[in-house]
Amino acid sequence: MKILVPIKRVVDYTVKVRVKPDGSGVDLNNVKMSMNPFDEIGVEEAIRLKERGIASEVVVVSLGSGACQETIRTALAMGADRGVLVETDLELQPLGIARLLKALVLKEQPQLVILGKQAIDDDSNQTGQMLAGLLNWPQGTFASKLEIADGRATVTREVDGGLETLELPLPAVITTDLRLNEPRYTTLPNIMKAKRRPLDVLQVADLPAEAVPSIKTLKVQPPQPRKPGIRVSSVEELVRKLREEAKVI
Amino acid sequence: MLTLPEKLLFIIFAILSIYLTYIGFSQIIVAVRKGQPEYYSRSNRLFERIREAFVRTIGQTPVLKSRPLVGVFHSFIFYGFTFYLLVNLIDLIEGLLPPSFAPLSGSPISSWFRLGSDVLGFLVLVGVIFFVWRRFVSRDTKLERFNDSVLLQAEVRAGGIRMDSLIVAGFIFFHVGFRLFEAGSLLAAEGRLDPWQPVATLIARVVGFGPDRIIGWHIGWWLSLGLILLFLPYFVRSKHIHIFVAPIRLGLGRRAATGEKIGSGALDPLNFEDENVEQFGVAKLEQLRWSQVLDAYACIQCNRCTNVCPAHETGKALAPSAIEINKRYELNSIRATLAKGAESPRPVMEFALSESALWACTTCGACVGICPVGCEPLIDIVDLRRDAVMTKAQFPQDLNSAFRNLERAGNPWGLAQDNRKDWAKEIAAPTVEENPDFDVLYWVGCAGAYDPSAQKIARAFTEILHHAKVRFAILGNSEKCTGDLARRAGNEYLYQNLGAENVQILNAALGNRDKRVVATCPHCFNALANDYPQLGGKYRVMHHTQLISELVSDNRLPELILDENITYHDPCYLGRHNGIYDAPRQVLNGPKRIIEMQRSRENSFCCGAGGAQFWKEEEPGNTRVTENRFQEAQATGAQVIAAGCPFCKSMLSSSESAGETGAPLVLDVAELVAENLRRVKSKLGIG
Ligand code: SF4
Ligand code: SF4
Repeated sequence: MKILVPIKRVVDYTVKVRVKPDGSGVDLNNVKMSMNPFDEIGVEEAIRLKERGIASEVVVVSLGSGACQETIRTALAMGADRGVLVETDLELQPLGIARLLKALVLKEQPQLVILGKQAIDDDSNQTGQMLAGLLNWPQGTFASKLEIADGRATVTREVDGGLETLELPLPAVITTDLRLNEPRYTTLPNIMKAKRRPLDVLQVADLPAEAVPSIKTLKVQPPQPRKPGIRVSSVEELVRKLREEAKVI
Repeated sequence: MLTLPEKLLFIIFAILSIYLTYIGFSQIIVAVRKGQPEYYSRSNRLFERIREAFVRTIGQTPVLKSRPLVGVFHSFIFYGFTFYLLVNLIDLIEGLLPPSFAPLSGSPISSWFRLGSDVLGFLVLVGVIFFVWRRFVSRDTKLERFNDSVLLQAEVRAGGIRMDSLIVAGFIFFHVGFRLFEAGSLLAAEGRLDPWQPVATLIARVVGFGPDRIIGWHIGWWLSLGLILLFLPYFVRSKHIHIFVAPIRLGLGRRAATGEKIGSGALDPLNFEDENVEQFGVAKLEQLRWSQVLDAYACIQCNRCTNVCPAHETGKALAPSAIEINKRYELNSIRATLAKGAESPRPVMEFALSESALWACTTCGACVGICPVGCEPLIDIVDLRRDAVMTKAQFPQDLNSAFRNLERAGNPWGLAQDNRKDWAKEIAAPTVEENPDFDVLYWVGCAGAYDPSAQKIARAFTEILHHAKVRFAILGNSEKCTGDLARRAGNEYLYQNLGAENVQILNAALGNRDKRVVATCPHCFNALANDYPQLGGKYRVMHHTQLISELVSDNRLPELILDENITYHDPCYLGRHNGIYDAPRQVLNGPKRIIEMQRSRENSFCCGAGGAQFWKEEEPGNTRVTENRFQEAQATGAQVIAAGCPFCKSMLSSSESAGETGAPLVLDVAELVAENLRRVKSKLGIG
């Protein structure tokens, strides 16, 4: 069984994001970039399935600039077998990505696609669902547990009321939640080996899909800075302040 | 002189014994030579090394220092035994060659020689009796007490060390005892008393006089010299081999190419240039550096290191001596096949220490500091961690996030690099760009930058610098973690990446100017002073307590008027690893002298933070290292525990007993000095 894991290069979670002065977007100059943490969980899950003998090949794919090769190498160092980069300078949005991924799925013929449930930059939480829709495949989103047996995937999802368990026939699309696993730390020999693993670079034009942006960004704004908190000396004072100043009770 | 058949027998016996011993020795030499090359030199300055080894061996200081009483009895045996080398040689000549060859006969020193062999022989017996009594009768628990969870070779578990001790003690006792008997019998046969040999004379009186007593001389000769031949092949595998290896090991300390001594604060770097290397750190015996293999034979199995190890003391599975002992037993059982070119059969982690033991070490350096023969179990531990982290990625889960945060954010908390200067929002701390004419570069460190309790230290120190009008600057947001925690956790690769970036930034900030770099964190201090020279960063580094002490003596800061009772905790990376004990004490000795804890200065007990312990759960044991130390500090009755390290402060103030009412407060030396400033000002009615 082949698993396809799409990964996204995002601003690292430890970076304090700065908005460009002209409001056209986030300043990416000299900013540390790394793999979207949810996608890392996807890569880890795919590798674990391979280690358990369930999967035979793990292919990671990223879409974007040439710099995404570095992100792909990270996934290869974790243990993925092969990488594909779809190179483009276009601004990619969930629907466009889902279309490109669909084209790739048809080309690679995986039985399972594992994506992060969302990317920590735009937090869209759409690509997985759209891909499943375009492919007309079943989907198990926000998976916190995944089991594969007899051509079926059993997905446990964390929902508001508790846990929900779904059973999907393969092929299927899975998106990962935080608790699915803890990604491994890569070993040095694997980092070295990753440099020798195959990484194909395609152009968007090579794929029979359209990825023109359908959403226009008007303005990007930083959130209002939070007002510092105050210390109250008693419960009475707290209640009074909540009632009179914050007017919440 | 012996009879002819006796002589022939002795010579055959001697050849056999020497041959077997030679085989044993050569196998050990092969094993040691299979070890990996060293980074630092262990052979330059040969003369100095020999002198050092000689002085320490003859002076017996390493043994006397840590256990004085034991040291005295050990000296008896040591001096006696050394003298007996001569005695045995002369006995040999007298036994095998005609009397005309007897080297000392008739010479004036002969009387002194007889006195020496008599008295020193007696002292050896006293020494041996003391050691046997200590191990088998009074059962000094320091010697063999290992926590139940400590991994030991089966033979060691079964009492191998006791057996070995008994055999060695038996040999020494009978060898020397029969030598005295031999001398006594000779006097008895010759029918004379010898004032130069009081003990032998006593023996002569006991055995009674008469020419037939010469048989006693024969028996004594055979049993004292024959015993050596019998013992020699065993000697190679016994702990007694330390009489050869220990003096050599004492001369093998690490030195830079320039000859200066390298302390325990520096670790040997790895080379990551070669992309074909697949093994990082140590998994198998032959991947140890040669000095580490030699350590197994230098170790006298005295357990001093384990007695002072904070991990062992608090019930963890780690015993540094067990690492050396287990290595020795492993080598003894495989050295013959190793010598034939075979590989060692199993990984070090299978016989030397358990995983929990590996991750229990705080890298406090107490084991290295106390070892009388210069063994370095700490270095083995770091090398094994390197394999676990870099080659296998098998390490405590908690460290995963610390490593990732370091990789991504340049600090173990994973906080934004852009917030690194936030600690100085309310106090002026100019960056190098803002104050290019600085005299001192203040290295804040991650704790000072991000940890609220350590930020207070950074601010207090900044206040002090301002008051003393020191022209200083900080690196601000371009400073990154030194990588100390990564390095001591075995992640040498991550450490070198961080280190290289920092060295570049520091070199750019300092230029060619010979500025001082001051750190409020001993871990940063150690990395800057001892680790970074390996990466091309050579700086004049000082700890903030040193700078403060200097400012006080220059009258740029007022003397201490605080009248609280203060005890001072020596941080491992300031004290033991870098020898800075006096500066903080000079600062803190005010109207009241500080109250010393029982374990202080080089005997200080770790707070439990080092070696990346701060970033993980403590390994299972019976108490926390921190709690053990806090209780000791509390027992001094002090109101304040002064520390010189943000991690010590954080650990100690979060220990269980620190939460009790009336428990002493934990503060950094800088915070106390800043408080002192405030009190002085208010007393003078200023500020
Ligand atoms: S460095 Fe400290 S904690 Fe580690 S083994 Fe030595 S004494 Fe024990
Ligand atoms: S390593 Fe040193 S201190 Fe520890 S048991 Fe061996 S000789 Fe003694």
